[in-house]
Amino acid sequence: MNIIWSNFFVQLVAFLILFLLLQRYAFKPLFGIMEKRRQMVLEQMEGAQKNRTEADRYIEEQKQALQQARKEAFEIVEQAKTMGTKQADEIVKAAQNETNRLKEAALRDIEAEKNNAVAALKAQVSGLSVLIASKIIEKQVDEQSQKQLVDQYLQDVGSKS
Amino acid sequence: MKGVKSNSMDHLVPIIEVFGIEFDLAAILMVVISSVVVLILARLAVRNLSVENPGKLQNFMEWVVDFVSSIIGMATDYKKGRIYLGLGLALIMYIFVSNMLGLPFSIITEAHGNHVPTVLGQELIVKGEHEHLAWSWWKSPTADAAMTMALALAVIGLSHVQGFRHNRKHYLKHYFEPWPFFLPINLIETAAKPLTLGLRLYGNIYAGEVMIGIILGMGWIGIPALLVWQGFSIFVGAIQAFVFTMLTMVYIGQASIHEEH
Repeated sequence: MNIIWSNFFVQLVAFLILFLLLQRYAFKPLFGIMEKRRQMVLEQMEGAQKNRTEADRYIEEQKQALQQARKEAFEIVEQAKTMGTKQADEIVKAAQNETNRLKEAALRDIEAEKNNAVAALKAQVSGLSVLIASKIIEKQVDEQSQKQLVDQYLQDVGSKS
Repeated sequence: MKGVKSNSMDHLVPIIEVFGIEFDLAAILMVVISSVVVLILARLAVRNLSVENPGKLQNFMEWVVDFVSSIIGMATDYKKGRIYLGLGLALIMYIFVSNMLGLPFSIITEAHGNHVPTVLGQELIVKGEHEHLAWSWWKSPTADAAMTMALALAVIGLSHVQGFRHNRKHYLKHYFEPWPFFLPINLIETAAKPLTLGLRLYGNIYAGEVMIGIILGMGWIGIPALLVWQGFSIFVGAIQAFVFTMLTMVYIGQASIHEEH
């Protein structure tokens, strides 16, 4: 067979040119796009991972918050209970005190009224007795005995009051 | 039958001589056509590049890229061999397209009488005696030993240059391994690499085209055989493109990428 040596160089140069053209106008943009896609997929996967951990974190947080709320509610209920009993005790105590106070006041009032009544009675009794006495005496007592009686009476009144 | 056979086998190569150098017009034509086909294919594939919604051709092209990446991964360390991805792609595309081009048909021009046609003012050169002048214009560029050897020497040369530049110590040492007196054997191996690389491709494709010529010579009886053989040639062409690219990466990897153990 017959080898044409120029073919060697023709092919060499042609392939070199083809390679450079392909590299410049086809492979470079293609590789760029493939790299971009790789990056995109990587980013999306990372994002998904991040979202998941975040979601997990949120769930954990929610759980804790719920737990906290439950605890707080329980505490509040407990507090309310103790406060309720305390208040009830206080109310009862206050009521008792009030009753005692009222009772004492009433007793005091009663005493005062009694004293007043006694005093008034005393006054009226002395007036009335004088009136009755003067009426009886008006009729049957003479000047001498009247004077004696008045003196005795005045003495009595002076010693009693 | 005999006449037909000699016809199909005796097609001349259209050669002109410019400045004392012989140029194979058919080869130049086919190289240009192959290159243009590859370029158009590649440009169509990257015409509407999209990250999220790639077209069919872009998908195909990305599949080829992944395929060549896997070849590099098989042959050597992918991270270090990645810079040769473009070379591998260009090789596999160009060789595959070249292998396919020679298959479907042929273009033959015949001389009228003994009048030799001229191209660019130069007469086509006729060597030896021919009773019937006919030139074949259409063949695979890879069915020519000089052209496959050009590709082979280019990539083997590249492997040596890269080996010397990036992996000097191991590259120089491998000529004397396992013992210094192995040097001649290592040199023979070095010389054999481009020869086997280039001639394997040439042999496969050239043989395929010769077979097609012979089957054509059988006339209409040969039509089923022709179909089978063309199908097989597509297979061979694809395999040879793959093998050439694979071996290129293996040789480059061997010479220039030293894997740390």
